[in-house]
Amino acid sequence: MDLMLIIGLIVLLIVVIILLWFFSYYNRVIRYENRIDNAWAQIDVQLKRRADLIPNLMETVKGYMNHERGTLEAVTMARSAIMTAKTPQESMDANNMLTGALKTLFAVAESYPDLKANQNFLQLQDELTHTEDKISYSRQHFNDSVLQFNNIIETFPGNIFANMMGKKTREMLQIPEASREVPKVSF
Amino acid sequence: MEPKPRLIEENIQKNKRDTVVICMLMIILLFSVFFAVGLILGAPPILTMMIGLPVALFYIFITYSFSIQSVISAAGARPANPENREEKLLIYKVEEMALAAGLPTPKVYVQESQDINAFATGHKPADAIICATSGCLQQLNTEELEGVIGHEMSHIMNRDILVMTVTVGVVGAIALIAEIALRMLFWSGGSSGSKKEGGGNIIVVVIAIIFIILAPIFSRLTYLAISRKREYLADANGAYLTRNPLGLAKALEKIKADIPDDPKGSKTVAPLYISNPFKRALRDSIWSTHPPLDERIRRLRAM
Repeated sequence: MDLMLIIGLIVLLIVVIILLWFFSYYNRVIRYENRIDNAWAQIDVQLKRRADLIPNLMETVKGYMNHERGTLEAVTMARSAIMTAKTPQESMDANNMLTGALKTLFAVAESYPDLKANQNFLQLQDELTHTEDKISYSRQHFNDSVLQFNNIIETFPGNIFANMMGKKTREMLQIPEASREVPKVSF
Repeated sequence: MEPKPRLIEENIQKNKRDTVVICMLMIILLFSVFFAVGLILGAPPILTMMIGLPVALFYIFITYSFSIQSVISAAGARPANPENREEKLLIYKVEEMALAAGLPTPKVYVQESQDINAFATGHKPADAIICATSGCLQQLNTEELEGVIGHEMSHIMNRDILVMTVTVGVVGAIALIAEIALRMLFWSGGSSGSKKEGGGNIIVVVIAIIFIILAPIFSRLTYLAISRKREYLADANGAYLTRNPLGLAKALEKIKADIPDDPKGSKTVAPLYISNPFKRALRDSIWSTHPPLDERIRRLRAM
């Protein structure tokens, strides 16, 4: 009778431990996945912010850069492409187009000292540069979140639980600009 | 001895594990003090623990609750002004690092000071504040400022404010309890318990007394060790956020060349600053809250 009791308690203990283990993994998988979705939404917020700044920018440079037809049109075309994009891929391509067009515009603006003295232009330049950085960091965070999620559902014992929960690995974003290397550390 | 290179993520995990180990040692130390106090007063350890633990917890709670406002006031910090271009760019950097970390954007404050320094505070990421000196804004370029802010954001990400404030609370509690115990012993002239048992027990009591005198020193050294570990962690994590360890390395090099002329702020704040704002002579010893600047720069440049 005593032996049965002890065995029963040990089995119970093992079951409890496995359940706690499962819950800890379950919660982490859910949290990491939510982080990915959050990160994705954040990228969109920043992209929209950038698109919203464009009309103001166009108004400001209008008087100064009239002869730079091609450069200015590239920006407005890219912005329309963003507005009319239907699939995520189209949206991404249109946004990449805008990144290139803006880079060219600011490079060309360097040869217009009057424009560069314009307070409005300077503020917009600051804000657009800032928004580009925010887009870049949002994408970085998205990829970091995907990596964290993939790591936990691919390694043991997370993979067992992940299979039960029906979770699949996610894809990272291919960032068009120079990819940032994660530094190796000597600790 | 060159440590072997590992992925930053692994290092972050290892650092967090090490912190847990050290914190457990701290807690063991706290309970040992309770035990020793019980011994010398001739009271059962369970009793001293039941009295001591709530006292310790209360002390920790009070320290924790008042930490934020005191930090800001002590530093004489004010909210950053977006009308000022330098401060606007600081706000931008904080926003960017918050996005990289996946956290809400902390409030941004500025401390008027020639020194290059920064600190982070806040009970939880949602209430966080990052403060940089005006010296930072004037002397650091964009990449260096980004490195500094990345470091501060890492402190918030890793809940270092919580870890360090609680640790300070535990250290304070140990010191407080040790002091009370010694005073009680002094005024009561020894306990009835030890007199009852005779000679052998005196040795135990003496050991317990020595332990109680040394405990505050041990706990302080442990606290400083934790602080330094967390600083390395914040450096590594900051480099991960910015993907640019050189930025912070260069900023630290500028700090190294700088001589602090007006150290302001309370002592408790020290571990939250990026570089020890006080006592330059003690900066690179085991009594420092921060690891030596040279070593931090070396590790960052090796990444």
